[in-house]
Amino acid sequence: MARPTPGGSRTSSPGSSGRSIGAAVSIRGVSKWFPTGRSHLHALDEIDMEIGPGEFVSLIGPSGCGKSTLLRVVGGLLPYEIGTVTVDGTSPAQARDTKQIGFAPQTPSLLGWRTVRRNVTLLAEVNRRGALHPPLSEAETLELLETVGLGDFLDRLPKELSGGMQQRVSLVRCFALGAPVLLMDEPFSALDEITRNEMRYLLLDLWERTGNTVIFVTHSIPEAVILSDRVLVMATKPGRIVHSETIQLPRPRSAEMEDDDRYLSHMRSVRRALGEVSAR
Amino acid sequence: MTAQTLGPNAAGVAKEPPPERPQRARRSAMVVAPVVGLAVVFAIWELYVRVFDISRLTLPTPSSILVHLVDEPGFYWRHAQVTLREAAMGYGIALGAALLVATFMAHSRFVERASMPVIVLLQSTPVAVLAPVFLIWFGFTHWPKVLVAAVFCYIPFTINEFTGLRSVDPNAYELLRSVSAGKVEIFAKLRFPQSLPYLFSAGRLCVGLSLVGAVIGEMFGGSTEGLGNTARVGQTRLLIDQLWGSILVLALIGVIGNLLLAAVESRVLRWHSSQDLPGGPTAAR
Repeated sequence: MARPTPGGSRTSSPGSSGRSIGAAVSIRGVSKWFPTGRSHLHALDEIDMEIGPGEFVSLIGPSGCGKSTLLRVVGGLLPYEIGTVTVDGTSPAQARDTKQIGFAPQTPSLLGWRTVRRNVTLLAEVNRRGALHPPLSEAETLELLETVGLGDFLDRLPKELSGGMQQRVSLVRCFALGAPVLLMDEPFSALDEITRNEMRYLLLDLWERTGNTVIFVTHSIPEAVILSDRVLVMATKPGRIVHSETIQLPRPRSAEMEDDDRYLSHMRSVRRALGEVSAR
Repeated sequence: MTAQTLGPNAAGVAKEPPPERPQRARRSAMVVAPVVGLAVVFAIWELYVRVFDISRLTLPTPSSILVHLVDEPGFYWRHAQVTLREAAMGYGIALGAALLVATFMAHSRFVERASMPVIVLLQSTPVAVLAPVFLIWFGFTHWPKVLVAAVFCYIPFTINEFTGLRSVDPNAYELLRSVSAGKVEIFAKLRFPQSLPYLFSAGRLCVGLSLVGAVIGEMFGGSTEGLGNTARVGQTRLLIDQLWGSILVLALIGVIGNLLLAAVESRVLRWHSSQDLPGGPTAAR
């Protein structure tokens, strides 16, 4: 499943199929307004963004800057008024209908009555006819569950798992769909710092095995820098991209890199950009 | 240098977790609890009648009613079967109709708005007065009783199931929408399973209501059999043992029905927090 990326070479997983499933996402001049009573809230203003196949891009910015809105526009979950969005050359709605987009919401949103094993296959079970790409096989899905340390919890119900374990199931569910593009909306925001740090590297491990294009929304600068090939800083009122930081750290990434001068330099740069956004 | 007072663990002695009551013992206690509750009520009742020397016509002792029931098991079994059949049919019809209507209501604001006045109208109508109407429509068959039982159960089933179907987790809903899951798929995978706690809640309430409906139907719907009829006859002919025997058998049926449903519920809703013992689930944290 491994393939080259803008960030450098990846390791391949044992037993991986070697497929490369990332797809390009193009956002050109996208603007969006939300009706608020008699007026309109300008949520996104002329967003331009090109994301290459297999690229990991993080969106970071203050609350209300439109990160999640942009994610939902790309995912075909929200309409937009002006501009063009394409996912692997098709509209977001078509991409959604053909299951080219995997979504990881803020909360794990596991179905309480389904075991871990059945939760991760949920998205593959619906809209089967529409799927352009096959979901991961049972063996591949089990391999991912093993990777995130849930091999012994396959038949457990969500209520028997901790918050961190539930979020791991949510991540595997997202990857198991086999979609080329994954949209992640602050998936670690509800976790404690230790679990959150652990989850970053689990996510990297999964991503390095599957090679998806990822758009990741976060409020955490360390998270954005260590995970991404590129970090986009957004400003609010209206939501727009004000800074793009290309991360020069090699792949695969590891916790040791958090002491690397380049990592610290990227951190400072993103923090400065966010500071300028907040000062406005 | 001041000496520091150290606890027993300061020397590195492993701290033992407090002894916990075994899971089986806790479950057994949960089963025994309702029996204890009933026994206490019956004991107070028995004592009250004996101590205050209450007339048998006003309130017989539970022990005398039990003796009467043991003497006439066939009589009560025959009439209980009739009432049970009417209540069960009414329960089933109400459940089926409620599932259908609540599903349409949950998927369409128009259907919801159109249905609400009818539901409020039914809710505000004293259902007992419908028994003679059903008697005129269906004659001396079991249908007037079945329908009264169904009308009694229909409202709680519909309101609860509708609430359950609408109370869908918005994140899970968005997740399914993100892969263009169809309405039927969202219903089968998300809405219906998530509504089950609401449905079971109504189901337990309706066990008693269906019996009430069947008995009222028998009392007002022209009946010569069933426990509603035996109670009515007992009251008019001052057959106090028969009156109280009918009441007790009806209560027993209600309790057994509730226990059976609770057993099914604990299996089907194993995943739901309502089925956790105090202290919560055993999480792998």
